[in-house]
Amino acid sequence: MSESAIITTNNVNLWYHEKQALQSVSIKIPRNRVTALIGPSGCGKSTLLRCFNRLNDLIDHVKCTGEITLDDENIYAPSTDVVTLRKKVGMVFQKPNPFPKSIYENVAYGPRVHGIRDKAELDRIVEQSLRHAAIWDEVKERLNDSALGLSGGQQQRLCIARTLAVEPEVILMDEPCSALDPIATAKIENLIERLKEDYTVIIVTHNMQQAARVSDYTGFMYLGRLIECGKTGQIFEHPKEELTENYITGRFG
Amino acid sequence: MKFTKKTDGVFTASKGTARLSVLKEQSVKTVFFFAAFFAVIVVSFILLFLLRDGYPIFVQVGLPNFLLGPDWAPTAVVPLYGIFPLIVGTLLVTIGAMVFAVPLSIGCAIYLSELASPRTKKCLKPAVELLAGIPSVVYGFFGLIVLTDFIRVSFDIPTGETWLAASLLLGVMALPTIISVSEDAISSVPHEYKEGSLAIGATRWQTISRVLVPAALSGIAAAVILGIGRVVGETMAVLMVAGNAAITPDPIWNILSPLRTLTATLGIEMGEVSVGSEHYSALFGIAVILLIITLIINLSAVAILRHLKEGRTKGPAPKLLVSSATKESLARFFEVIGIAVLLVFLLAAAPWWLAAFVLLIPGAWYFGRDRLSQKHIQTIAFCLVGLATVIVLAILVIILQDIVVHGLPALSWEFLTQPPKDLGRAGGIFPAIIGTLYLVMGAIAIALPLGMGAAIYLVEYTREGRITRLIRTSVDLLNGTPSIVFGLFGFAFIVLYLNVGVSLLAGQVTLALMVLPTMIRTTEESLKNIPQSLREGSLALGATQWQTISRVVIPPAVPGIVTGAILSIGRAAGETAPIMFTAVIFSSRFLPDSVFQPVMALPYHLFILATNVPGSSTNKYGTALVLLLLVIGFYSVAIFVRTHFQNKARG
Ligand SMILES: Nc1ncnc2c1ncn2[C@@H]1O[C@H](COP(=O)(O)OP(=O)(O)OP(=O)(O)O)[C@@H](O)[C@H]1O
Ligand SMILES: [Mg+2]
Repeated sequence: MSESAIITTNNVNLWYHEKQALQSVSIKIPRNRVTALIGPSGCGKSTLLRCFNRLNDLIDHVKCTGEITLDDENIYAPSTDVVTLRKKVGMVFQKPNPFPKSIYENVAYGPRVHGIRDKAELDRIVEQSLRHAAIWDEVKERLNDSALGLSGGQQQRLCIARTLAVEPEVILMDEPCSALDPIATAKIENLIERLKEDYTVIIVTHNMQQAARVSDYTGFMYLGRLIECGKTGQIFEHPKEELTENYITGRFG
Repeated sequence: MKFTKKTDGVFTASKGTARLSVLKEQSVKTVFFFAAFFAVIVVSFILLFLLRDGYPIFVQVGLPNFLLGPDWAPTAVVPLYGIFPLIVGTLLVTIGAMVFAVPLSIGCAIYLSELASPRTKKCLKPAVELLAGIPSVVYGFFGLIVLTDFIRVSFDIPTGETWLAASLLLGVMALPTIISVSEDAISSVPHEYKEGSLAIGATRWQTISRVLVPAALSGIAAAVILGIGRVVGETMAVLMVAGNAAITPDPIWNILSPLRTLTATLGIEMGEVSVGSEHYSALFGIAVILLIITLIINLSAVAILRHLKEGRTKGPAPKLLVSSATKESLARFFEVIGIAVLLVFLLAAAPWWLAAFVLLIPGAWYFGRDRLSQKHIQTIAFCLVGLATVIVLAILVIILQDIVVHGLPALSWEFLTQPPKDLGRAGGIFPAIIGTLYLVMGAIAIALPLGMGAAIYLVEYTREGRITRLIRTSVDLLNGTPSIVFGLFGFAFIVLYLNVGVSLLAGQVTLALMVLPTMIRTTEESLKNIPQSLREGSLALGATQWQTISRVVIPPAVPGIVTGAILSIGRAAGETAPIMFTAVIFSSRFLPDSVFQPVMALPYHLFILATNVPGSSTNKYGTALVLLLLVIGFYSVAIFVRTHFQNKARG
């Protein structure tokens, strides 16, 4: 890949207890592009994604070796501040997880914890993020209602807005549409399309068409290994590896 | 061919006995229904008998005068029955206890649920449970000997039996309730919230303080309310340290003034009043008021917790009542009020250096927080949370250490096997040990079948309906009833109305009623933990409901039920108030030879030694230690059974 990489992993291995979940994964994530990770269930996609913001740290007995750099800084170095890292690398989860607070408070939460107190400034950020996440028109009348009253698709876009409000550089999305209907999915896909102007997006998906539609690059994983990674068109039309071809054409297992 | 024949045989056989088995099922169900309905009967009888005996005073004095009258002087030449100072006393003690207990417990709960490693947690939780297991008369004894003396010396006042002492002691007693319920609430906040917040780049402390604790807030509120219920209903401990002058402190924030609570009044005067007099009726009037207060408190906590549980399973969409802007201005308002109250309070009551020191903390916080990085704030917060935990542990260690160190020298073979001499100053406590054992064994023999029956009915035989709700509410009401109220009820109903007299039997029944709700709840819990698939498996084979329950559901639930029974025994062994007027005498050389004779009991013996017999220090401590060991012994067995069988069940 000729484009400049924002995240680079080098020989990453990861174990849960004794069980190895990632095996010497080396991948370059290009800046301001959408990269899709595909592969069968349990192959380690979520695990890899959660390495990028060190959310795996929350789980006991996780061991990780190798090197992961963000903007050429090793994120597993002892000097790395995870809080700053997570500010730069936002995440949208598979199941929408808004806080049990109002819509406004959900979006304002990030800026607040990072020290913004000014009400006008917060208002501006909240509106901008909600607009950016294409949900503003649906919620602007009821910003003070509980976020738990929104539909699943709206909740997911709210979670995206919540992530955007922190202005990260990278957004990780772990099967963001798996709990949504086709209409909500289409909305989120459009959104991803627009996000790459300002952000780098890494998306995990089980939906082959979705990967083909939204991503510029695709990585295929299998049993903890990264089998192949390249331009989406190339991966889908002329995969180099047989495994990839089998998976993409549905001839698997 | 052979196979078909065999099935046929089984089928015809069951057809033959079908009528009989339907009848049997029906009668089994009826028996369980009555066990469950018993709770409703007890509650109505308690209300009925308290009202029957308290009613005359409401008529005579009038409810407004009774509630708002400024003087409580039942033995004056012109007796006055105004319980206003007693209500104020209860209120003040409660407020004081909460000021002390709430921050400590929430800090400790946060530490346990979010910061402690699994191993630390495993050690700390039994410690908190131990704090809950110490009998209230032992708390009272410790307060009387150590705490009041400490207060007397450090404030240089004639006596340390004060509001402050009562609040501190009751605060300690409320700690375990608040800690364990809030810890539960914080731990059960969905994991996704935590991940969501951390993924945005919030620090751990920001995640705790802005997401986890707010999400757990109603659970924490319920915890505090339960703690309040515990404090309001407590009798023995508060009676021993509060000074018991029926006055309102002057000025009202004078924490070094003695005061008297509703419960203490019952504990002190019930033993000396002549049955049927105006004074007697006034005491029952107090019990009615006390019951109403505690019932409101406990039912609201139960309602909150139940709502939470249902909300979690059904997936809530709660509307937020206040907008964030109003919330903010409200918060600001309370901040100002809080600081003002603190100022007045400190200037009036505390030495100036303490005031300056305490004021320095919010001051520094207010001006410093913008300059501190989130990292530093987190460090400070974690230190405070850790400090709270250390204080809770230190309290436990201090109490245990004091009683063990002073009590050990008294322990000897003679002490354990001889009757008391010279009003308990010399001799042993053998009859008291045996009396306590008799009391708890009798109580559990009554409560266990009733409790199991009720729980089986509630879990296995019925869907949620009006009757079930009535039974559940009654169990909640019983659970929230102060132990002294059981004592009064036992006296009015069993001792007098049924004419059983002050006796072992009356005590056993009273204690049984008191532990019944614990019994029902723990059994219910363990039955609910049996997977539905087991029942379905058995029913699908054609077993009747009773066969399913008795052969498939109950056996794996036995450890849970046993745990509940032992916990109830521990609780019953340490209680004083329910047996004080129903079963005990202070001094007896002999063991009772029928259940119609009164007995000695350890908690009551300790109470009398501590309050009425000067100069028996060693024996006091010895009695306290034996009582403590007995109760803790029961609790340890219960905890052991629980963890042992839990591990076994997991394989
Ligand atoms: N907390 C954990 N503890 C132990 N093992 C885990 C844990 N999380 C994941 N694993 C294991 O690591 C492997 C990779 O899991 P991961 O969640 O990354 O897969 P995935 O590719 O995201 O699958 P899916 O498509 O189903 O989400 C799996 O075999 C899984 O069992
Ligand atoms: Mg996954």
